[in-house]
Parts: sequence; C-alpha cells; structure tokens
Amino acid sequence: CRSSFLPSRVLPFEVVLLRFVAMADELEDFVRKLLPTVDGLEAILITDRDGVIVLKASTPSMPEAAARPNFLATYPISCEQASKLGLGTNQNLVCMYDNYQVVQMNYLPLVVTLLAREDANTGLLLGLRASLDSCLEELKQAVEVP
Amino acid sequence: MLKPRALTQVLHQANTGGVRSTILLNNEGSLVSFAGNGDKESKVTSAITSNVWFAYEKHGKNALSAEETKLIFLDCENGRVAMTRVASMILCMFADKSVGMGLLKAKLQALSRYLDEPLQQVASG
Repeated sequence: CRSSFLPSRVLPFEVVLLRFVAMADELEDFVRKLLPTVDGLEAILITDRDGVIVLKASTPSMPEAAARPNFLATYPISCEQASKLGLGTNQNLVCMYDNYQVVQMNYLPLVVTLLAREDANTGLLLGLRASLDSCLEELKQAVEVP
Repeated sequence: MLKPRALTQVLHQANTGGVRSTILLNNEGSLVSFAGNGDKESKVTSAITSNVWFAYEKHGKNALSAEETKLIFLDCENGRVAMTRVASMILCMFADKSVGMGLLKAKLQALSRYLDEPLQQVASG
C-alpha cells in the first residue's frame, strides 16, 4: 500500500484528491445557493487568469458566449493595467452594457465573474464579495503554486 | 470649433467632493482634455483607461452581443475610476475611495449629458 511508505504527516495522493473533490462539490453548492440571493444574477464563474472555468453556477438563460475564456480573461489583463493608474491594486471592475452587467473581482490567481441583468442591484452584487471571501481563500490555496 | 480652455474649465467643475481629475479621450485613446491633479501622468492614465474601455467594448460585443458599453467602474485600493462614452469620445473621472460609486456615476452621467451635444457638433462639423 502506498500510504505505508509515506511519513505520517503527508497524506497519500488519493486522499488529497478526494478532499479536493469534496471541497469543490461543497464550493459549487455554496456558490449555487448564492445565485438567487440577488435578483437578476445569471451566473457566478470562478476562473483562473487564463479564463478557464474552475467553478460555475448559472441559470439556463445565461449567454453561453460569456463563459468563454477570451471574454473571462479580459479582467486579469485589465486588472494588471488598472493597478498602474497610481490608485493601488484593482479590486473590482463593473462593466455595464445595454442588457447585462459584469462584475469581476480580483482574487488572483483566481477571478470571480458575476454576470447579471442590467437592472440588477450593483451594490448587492459587489456585496457578494464578503460572502465569497472565505471560500475563495481556501480555493486560492489549493490553486496557488507554493 | 472646440475651445480647449472652455472644455478644461467644464471638466474642472466636476473635480469636487473627492473627484481628483477628469479627462476626455478620443477614439484612438489619445488625450483631448485634462482637468485636475496628476497632469504629468495624464498620458499614461489616458492610455491605460482607453485600453480597458476598448477591451471590454470589443469583448462585450462578441460575448454578450452588446451594442453599447454604457459604463465601466474600476474599484481600486486607493481610488475609483469611472468611464463612459460621450459623443465619439470617452469621459473618465478619477476619485478618492471615499466617493461612493453611485455619486461618481451620477456626476459622470451629468457631465456626459452636458457635453454630449457640443461634442456631437464638433464631431459632425
């Protein structure tokens, strides 16, 4: 058995993987429960800096093209540029289009994207950051290279 | 014809209550007019803000079939930036963190409405 050759404080790979899968399921459940808390919120996407989706919770009416990496990866580049404006690190970006609004939050190397209808309450969307803080910290640690 | 001094004075009127500076950019991202603090970095800030605006405008059209980008807010550690389109130009406001987003949006939209007609005339004439 593989575990008999490892020091006691290091978990076998299979156990680490199971823990990660359980954490991912728990996070997905948590994020899915956040969706109906703001009227008009269509999707919560957690992605890496290249726009690849790590976690997704969405309504059926969410436009699929908004989940593509080339759209989601706009924020990390813009965030890096915005952090050079002399106003410190960029924390959030809100972009309002005619039918939708996009709120993106800096948790680099992760990015949280909230896609909502244009008439959704932007203040409440930004307020979701407080709810996401604790679970994103755990996910960040799992994703970051030590 | 566009009167640069008059335009700067109009932009300067927005620089109250925590708003540090207001800039107007053309469609290529070049600075048209600037009012407020930090004029030495104005070319850099105008290039950065226009980059952000055009990136979201382009990707918004592709991903969300958005015909129009109405507003972009940048919420940074030590300040806030708001941008909107006015005529064929981009209007940006830089403010302290103490300025609420709602108030910044209201100021930006009020100034945008005020400048829209004169700038449309300049663009067409």
